[in-house]
Amino acid sequence: MHNRELNSEKAKADDEETAGTPINEELHFRRVSALEMGGAEAIERQHANGRLTVRERFSKLTDADSFREVGTLGGSGEYDENNKLVRVTPAPYVAGMARVNGRPVAIGGEDFTVRGGTTFGAARRKGGQGGFIEDLAHYYKIPLVNLIDGAGGTVTSAKRRGYVAFPGVHGFERSVQLLGEVPVVSAVLGTAAGGPAGRAILSHFSVMVRGTSQIFAAGPPVVKRSLGRDIDKEELGGAAVAVDKAGTIHNAVDTEEEAFDQIRRFLSYMPQNVWEMPPVVPCDDPVDRCETALRDIVPEKRTQPYSMHDLIDLVVDKGSVFEIQPTNGKSVITSLARLDGRPVGIVANNPKFYSGAMDAASAHKQIRFMELCDTFHIPLVFLVDVPGFMVGLKAEQEATLREGMRAVYVAGQLTVPTLTLVIRKCYGMAGMATCNKNDIDLKLSWPSGEWGSLPVEGGVAAAFRRDIANSADPKAREKELEAELRAYASPFRTAEAFAVEEIIDPSETRPILCEYIALAEGRLKANLGPKRKAGVSP
Amino acid sequence: MSITNVSSEVIGSVWKVEMKVGDAVKTGDIIMILESMKMEIPVEAPADGTLSELKVKPEDSVDEDQVLCTIES
Repeated sequence: MHNRELNSEKAKADDEETAGTPINEELHFRRVSALEMGGAEAIERQHANGRLTVRERFSKLTDADSFREVGTLGGSGEYDENNKLVRVTPAPYVAGMARVNGRPVAIGGEDFTVRGGTTFGAARRKGGQGGFIEDLAHYYKIPLVNLIDGAGGTVTSAKRRGYVAFPGVHGFERSVQLLGEVPVVSAVLGTAAGGPAGRAILSHFSVMVRGTSQIFAAGPPVVKRSLGRDIDKEELGGAAVAVDKAGTIHNAVDTEEEAFDQIRRFLSYMPQNVWEMPPVVPCDDPVDRCETALRDIVPEKRTQPYSMHDLIDLVVDKGSVFEIQPTNGKSVITSLARLDGRPVGIVANNPKFYSGAMDAASAHKQIRFMELCDTFHIPLVFLVDVPGFMVGLKAEQEATLREGMRAVYVAGQLTVPTLTLVIRKCYGMAGMATCNKNDIDLKLSWPSGEWGSLPVEGGVAAAFRRDIANSADPKAREKELEAELRAYASPFRTAEAFAVEEIIDPSETRPILCEYIALAEGRLKANLGPKRKAGVSP
Repeated sequence: MSITNVSSEVIGSVWKVEMKVGDAVKTGDIIMILESMKMEIPVEAPADGTLSELKVKPEDSVDEDQVLCTIES
């Protein structure tokens, strides 16, 4: 029947071992063909490019022996004049179910060794826009893992079909729906353009590999034809652009193995779907661990920055921090972490970068992170040191005001419990994006906290311009006014008015946050399910 | 021998320059301090070597990604 030798003896042995009687010869042949992917040469090329094959990726990412393939036999068969099967070219997409951290996921990925991972003409798509794998995640309410290594459709599909498909016929409807139902993660592991690139964005967490993966709306040949510019693919869509500069993809790593680590890590904080609570893990870090180092972490001199990363590490469960978008929008830090084993979302301003001021990039980053946590019932902890929105011409050109107000709008619609802890500055509208002040959610502060509509310096010069100009010694008058107003700025005066709920000793931060996050559980359980979206975002 | 450009991550101005051309630097040494959004932003050496060129002086305005100095190693 076959005109070539089967070169996967192991697969044959496996097949024979599982069956009491010899396996159906054609089934065996077709299975082996699937495992051979695009053939030895194509696999060698994939490896030479520093990339794993899709099957190697599945086995490194998922729990051992947990992958149950669906659509193994999908592909294109070639038959001889007697209608006997000669060979099968497998589909350029591998999909199925597997386990990650012991929990089921739907997983799919392009096989670049078969026709560069382009789409193929099957009766039903295995994955991608409107594919089986998206349906599996939707109907069984399990996370979806996309391993992206392909450039999407080719013009040859039109030749095969006899017409060109209308955009959206194989659309993103299901992918869009999934974003409100189950965790969706994407790894960009090759050069992604077109549909696969779009799918990478329609995810809750995405990661790419520096040097071996790129992503763009359109690649260098299209740029050349449209704009006449020569640019290579790494320059156009490598991690330096897509992650560090643009924030198109969340995180960048150096190897595919690290990308898989990050996917496993991200999923460990997530519930299986929005109808469930996020998983609580045993915690051996004492809840009552008081860190006296926190008392000295904020420098006395108000113009000196400190490490907000160190501060977070001292508070949350040891080793539990997973930072999302560490290289983009750096004036805010967004990290998943745990307090007494319970997942929390940390939003912390970074005084080392623009004094923690919110610019357009950090607003985007904070918005996406708040929406992620709100969708999956993860309470938020804001560690606040924000002087306001970023100022200056560049900031205005980037629509900082609009993006910042969008952060305020999204913060105002949060339904998960939020804890606001002011570390130092909490000023203006950017400060409003860090709390839900009309709700029961708590506003706490360290003694170093200060707030208002704008800082005293600068504010005095503007509000008392005439008073200062008319005085005999304007500089001295300005200082005098500043000193007078600074007295009102004491956080203790606001606490007297019960306008912040509590001022805490910094060393008690961990025990207090752990207690409130534990308390949040009942409220979270009462609000499970999809979140309602309303209104027009500014 | 290689030259490392040290760039500003922020828009702001130069407040203090802590080193001079020819000084030996170690990774993490503070070469200068910028001022941005009323905050002191230390510029640390990204590599070991010698400070080979200073392209800014106190009170100069600096832009994001502007090269401030170079290190020869």
